[in-house]
Formats: sequence, structure tokens, C-alpha cells
Amino acid sequence: MKKSIQSIAVLTVICVVTAVLLALVNGITAPIIAKAEAEKANEALLVVMPDGEGFEEISADEYELPSSITNIYREKNGGYVFKMATTGYSSGLAIMCGIDKDGKITGAVCLSSGETLGYEKTYGDSFIGLDSESADSVDIISGATKTTAAYKNAVKDALASFIIVNGGSVDIRTKEEILQDNLSAVLPAGKEFTKEFITESLGDVTAIYMSGNGEGYVVAIGELFIGIDKNGNAVSEADESAKEKAIAAYNIHVNSTLEEIELSGYEGISSKILKAYKTSGGNFVFDIKASGYGMSGEWAASGKPIKIKVSASDEGKIISCITVSQSETEGIGSVCAEPSYYEQYNGKTEASLGEVDAISGATYTHKGYSSAVSEVFKTINILKGAE
Amino acid sequence: MSKNSKLSILLKGLLLENPVFVLVLGTCPTLATTTSVIGALSMGLAATAVLIASNAAISLLRKVIPDKVRIPCYIVIIAGFVTLVQMLMHAYLPELYELLGIYLALITVNCIILGRAEMFASKNRIGESVLDGIGMGLGFTLALVLMATIREVFGSGSFAGIEIPFLQNYKVEFLVKSPGGFLVFGILIAVVNAITKGKVIKKKDFGCEGCPSAGVCHSKECGAADENLTTKVGNTENAVKEEK
Amino acid sequence: MDTFRNLIIILMSSVLVNNYVLSRFLGICPFLGVSKKLDQAAGMGLSVIFVMLVATAATWPIQHFILDRFGLGYMQTIVFILVIAALVQFIEIVLKKYIPALHKSLGVYLPLITTNCAVLGVTINNITDGYGFLESMVSSLGCGLGFLLAMVLFSGVRSRIESCDAPECFKGLPVTLIAASIVSLAFFGFAGIVDNLFA
Repeated sequence: MKKSIQSIAVLTVICVVTAVLLALVNGITAPIIAKAEAEKANEALLVVMPDGEGFEEISADEYELPSSITNIYREKNGGYVFKMATTGYSSGLAIMCGIDKDGKITGAVCLSSGETLGYEKTYGDSFIGLDSESADSVDIISGATKTTAAYKNAVKDALASFIIVNGGSVDIRTKEEILQDNLSAVLPAGKEFTKEFITESLGDVTAIYMSGNGEGYVVAIGELFIGIDKNGNAVSEADESAKEKAIAAYNIHVNSTLEEIELSGYEGISSKILKAYKTSGGNFVFDIKASGYGMSGEWAASGKPIKIKVSASDEGKIISCITVSQSETEGIGSVCAEPSYYEQYNGKTEASLGEVDAISGATYTHKGYSSAVSEVFKTINILKGAE
Repeated sequence: MSKNSKLSILLKGLLLENPVFVLVLGTCPTLATTTSVIGALSMGLAATAVLIASNAAISLLRKVIPDKVRIPCYIVIIAGFVTLVQMLMHAYLPELYELLGIYLALITVNCIILGRAEMFASKNRIGESVLDGIGMGLGFTLALVLMATIREVFGSGSFAGIEIPFLQNYKVEFLVKSPGGFLVFGILIAVVNAITKGKVIKKKDFGCEGCPSAGVCHSKECGAADENLTTKVGNTENAVKEEK
Repeated sequence: MDTFRNLIIILMSSVLVNNYVLSRFLGICPFLGVSKKLDQAAGMGLSVIFVMLVATAATWPIQHFILDRFGLGYMQTIVFILVIAALVQFIEIVLKKYIPALHKSLGVYLPLITTNCAVLGVTINNITDGYGFLESMVSSLGCGLGFLLAMVLFSGVRSRIESCDAPECFKGLPVTLIAASIVSLAFFGFAGIVDNLFA
């Protein structure tokens, strides 16, 4: 018994002595190791700021920064290096960007990406020497739209963060967030607004947004937003004529009904027109399909058409156009599903259809889309001619 | 002890009792870190430092450590010195620390060190134990460097990172890959066998009890060891059992 | 689905590509020592799998909930080896008392495992690779299976070597190592298999 107690005691003493000795040595080596590792991390930062020295990581939580910012390093002379995580063409994109004390970009590199195109490797170089005003001038590379657009946005986030950490303020909301905020301002009860597909000619009214919670609508006349509650009363400040216009448009819009036209009764209607409707206001709505790259492309294409919904007045002017579904090449032809593309068709006539800007790098998609939409004008003529 | 015997303690580790080629201990680092001369040399010296220090400490404490818990005590002491070497290398030689990676921590379970603790340091005075540590450590280091030289010169066409112009064009990359490690090691042992024919010591005198390579003992030099496997395991079993 | 895929990749790469014995040189001593007979090789392999799993289950929480929390990361080596030694001892006692049949077949190998560098290696690797608990367990399972596979394959090769007539100085270990080199070369062919597993 005495022996085993002695054994345990000796083992315990050896363990304790060893632990204490190690703790002492650790006290000496730990700061050296930490310093060496920090220097190593700094070396990586020098890639985007070759003249930088004395980097020090600061907490990103202290500021309200764009969500893409993951790490911030302050340089001794007042420059900053930002690390951003964003999403590119297929997967995560980690970007690092250095900005000197004058707000000029000293370098931007892609740290990791799952991209296949390779543009992300050199794209950052085109930002060198630019500042928050001139960074917009860097073009997005066609054929790598999503990747380079995400890259550019990340660099812009870094520029915005630079201003914020220096005590300035920047609107870091996205376009969509700004829109939602503006809509909520005129209709406080509403939220999660979605843009309505307009079927009738509404004069000056450019858009109507519906609140996701059924609390009403917002009518946009150019830059002016007018909130209309669920009882049909204008609830925001505006001059009376605008309010009247808005309410009138609102009434036409919500009371508009569709009646399907039996297409088999007409001759010469393109097979691209899937369905046609006549609205209660005397306009037309068409469901059409376009053959984009998915149908005409030579290989590796999806084999599926783009589905589009178009409303047009009986004089042959497009009121509203929206892409319902598409299976085009992700990041290239899929741009046709973005409002910036399909909203270009709003207000176009047969004569002005050519003014719509093509999608760079996706010729098939644009041609197919455009020619499908042009069928709308022919169909309207056929439908009207038969009456 | 006479001066002569002290010298022999120091020298026996170099060839006749070379821990790597004759006793075939510490095979894992021998194979893993010999792709470059620098890696092999730093591994060898790190292990030598641990070996000398643990031999000295165990020899000093040999009267204090109760027989029952000696193996756990040795393990703690050795692991302590390994951690010490790890921390110092991490702080002052970070490149080598990265190069050796996990094999640095694995010096803890290097059979040579536990074997020497069990067979030599626990029975001898500190002076001899340190000499034994130096001898065995240098034997280990020399073996590693020899093997790394062969592998690096012919496998990467360089020596300690310095490129050799002619051999650059005739690299046998197989040698720096894992199969090459086994091959070079096998041939070197055969060469040492041929040179030392019959004069090498028997493994069980060296202290394989404290080491998992006890099973290797069925190689020719260690005659009866094949049957010994079970008895040796029995020994270790007892030793470990006594931990509690 | 992604997690599952990730786990399969870890498993396959540790069994085939980064085989502990044949490409990372961990656990060479038992690989050379106990691979002479098939039943011994299998017994050793199974014991190693078992100890690796238990050791990982014990060391992962210790690292994350004790060492990291109190800034004792530098004690990793010493704590892990002690935990493994104690665990092996404990397992042996439990097996002996409650499952004597299993103890009879695995018992002799257990003490040898304490100083098997593959066990200490896998526990430390799991931490340095930043694996989560589940990933660590899968990686340990993979390493153990890889060890078993290498042992069993090699025991077959060895039984042939015994009967071959090698030059005098090559007899015993040298020719065994050269055979190991050829088996390791065979495993070389697996490199790249994991990347394309789900391609």
C-alpha cells in the first residue's frame, strides 16, 4: 500500500514538474512564435500593399460594414487591407484588397476561388491606382460576368469600408435594399415588396409594387413613389394630381382581368406564341417561348426554351416584359433573367426593338429573345386584323 | 570506468549498435524525414537532443522512480523534452519546424529513446548515460543523413537544397517518394549486414521490451525472438499493468 | 449531402491515398514486426482500429474543451500520449474482465499499441487538419482501415518471401523492406482517385 502511494506520488511530482517547466518555456517562446506568425501573415498582406509595414488586425465588429468584409488590417501609415468573401460564378470567392491612406487601391488579389474561367486571377490588377470614384470605370469582363461582377462589388465594398473605418459614412445598402426602404417609406405598413407585371397602359406610371403582407401597393411615377393602402387610399405625401393619377392607375391595375384568346382560330401565328390573352382594358398579354442558346447552341446546351411574358397595348407598344424561366448558361445567357435586361423591352415598339442592348457574350440568347418578342407585334396585327 | 570503455560507449552507436541499420529502431522517422538532407539532419539532431536530455534526467532520477511506474514516468519525461524541443524549434527555427511537422511530436514514441531509457539510463550513472545518448543520437543522425543523401542526390538532383547541375537532368524521382524510402532502407540494411556479418549485438540486449518493434526480433540476428514475441509482449504487458 | 460526401472523401483518402503505413510511414514497426502471419496481422490491425477510434473520441474533446480553452496547446503531445497509454491499459483491463474471448485474440497486441506512432499520429493530425468531431472519427476509422489493409496485404506478400532464396545479406529484413517498397508502389496508383471520386 505504502509502495503504491509512493509510486503515484512520484509520477504526480514528475508530471507537475514537467508541466511547470513547459509552462515557463512556453512563456518565453509563445510571444516569439506569435510574432513570427504575425510577420508571416503580414507577408501575405504585402501582396496587395507592397509598401505597407506594421500591419495590425482590427476588429470588423466595431463598424457597420458591408457583409462581405471578413478581416481588416490597419497599416502603420493609415492604409488598410480588407479581406472579403463573396460568391462568384459557382462558388465562394475570397478577395483581398489593399487601400493606401489616400484611398487609392494598391492591389487586389483573389485568394481562393472555385471558378473555372481564370479571369479572377488577373482581374484585380485593373483596379490598381483607382479610388472610390474611379473604380466604377473598370469593366466587367464578358464571358465571366458573374465572377468579375462579384469581384468588382467586393472591391467597392472595400472602398466603402475604407471610408467607414476612417469615420465617414457610406450607403452600404444594395440597390434592392434601397428600393425596399424607399417603398416602405411611403407605405409603412407594407413589407417585402414585389414588382407587379403590368397589363394595362397606365400613362406616366412606371411601376407598381405589391406589398408581400397584403397591406397595399406602391405606385411609381418616375422617381415619385405613392403608397396606396389596401382600401385604395393614397397614404403618402404628394401633390393631388399625382395622387389622382396613382389611384387611377392602381384601380385599373387591380381591376384588370384577362380572357384567353383561342389561338387556333387565327392563321399565321408563330409557334413561339404559347398563349394570348385580352385584358379588360383592351390590351394583350402573351406567354411566349424563345429559343436561346439552350435551343440553338451547338452543344452542351440545356435543350429548354426561355419563357417570357409580355403585355402590349393594341397599338403595338410593349407595356411590360418579364422572363418567367430560363435554362441558359449560368453566368452568361442567364443574364436574360435579370431586370436590367428584360426591362429594356418596356415601352418598345416594333420600330424601336433594335435599341435593346445585347447581352455581351451571349449572342444566341439575345437574338432568340428579341426575335420571340418581335412575334408579339405580328400577332397583335393578326389578332386585330381578324376582328 | 576506464577511458577506453567510455570511448566505446560513445562509438558503439555509430556502427555495431547503430540504432537504425542494425537494430532497426525508429523506422518511421527514418523513412519519412529522409527525403531531404536538411530534414534528416534536423530530425536527427532534434532526436539526439531529446535522447541526451532524457537519458540524463532518467539516470538522475533512477533511484527515485519506483519500478512499478517507471514506463509512464519515462514517457512523461520524454514527452516533456519533445515538447520543449518543439517549442524552441517553433520559436527559433520555424522553417524546420514546418518541415518536420508531425514527426517532431512523434519523437515521443521513437523506440530508440524509450529503449535507451529502459536499458541504459535506468542502470547507469549520468556521465555514461549522456555519452550513450550522444553516441546513439549521432548514430541515428548519421544513418538518417546517409540515407537522405542517397535519396536527395539521386531523387531530387540536389544536396541540402543546392542543385547539382548534372544530376538535375537525371532525377530518379521514385527515390524521394514513399516506395523509394523502403527500397533504399532495405538495400542499406543489406549493405550493413554484409559489412558487420555476425558481429552485431542481439536485439534483446538493447531494450526492445519498451518498444513496439519487439516483433521485429524474429529477424535472423535475434534467433529465438520469434517465439519471444509472446513473452516479450508479456513483459510489456506487465510493465504497463504496473502503471496503475 | 455535402457533409456525407466530405466524409467519404476523408475516408477514402486516408485508406488509400494517404495510407498511414505505405505513404506516410507511421506505424512501420508493427507493420514489419507483426505482419508475418495473417491472423497476427489481422489481430493487430483490428486492435489498432479500435484504439484509434477510442483515442480520437477521447483526445478531440480534451484538445477542444480543455487544452484550447485554457491556452495549454503546448501540452498536446504529453497529454495525448498519456491519455493513449491510460486508455490502452483501461481497455485491456475491461476486455480481460468482461470479454475474455476478445482479450485472448486482441490482448497481446494492445500493449504494443501505446508506442505505435500511428495512434499518436492520427490524434494529432486530426487536430492540425482542423477536423470536427465526426470528421476526426471518420479519419481515424480510415487510417485504421488503411493500416489493417496494409498489414493483411503485406502478410500475404511475406509468406511468399519466406520461401524465396535471397542473397545472404538480404535475408530477413532487407528483402522484406524491398517487398514493402513494391506494395507501397502499388498504392501509389491510388493518388488522384479521391479528387475524381465525385467528378
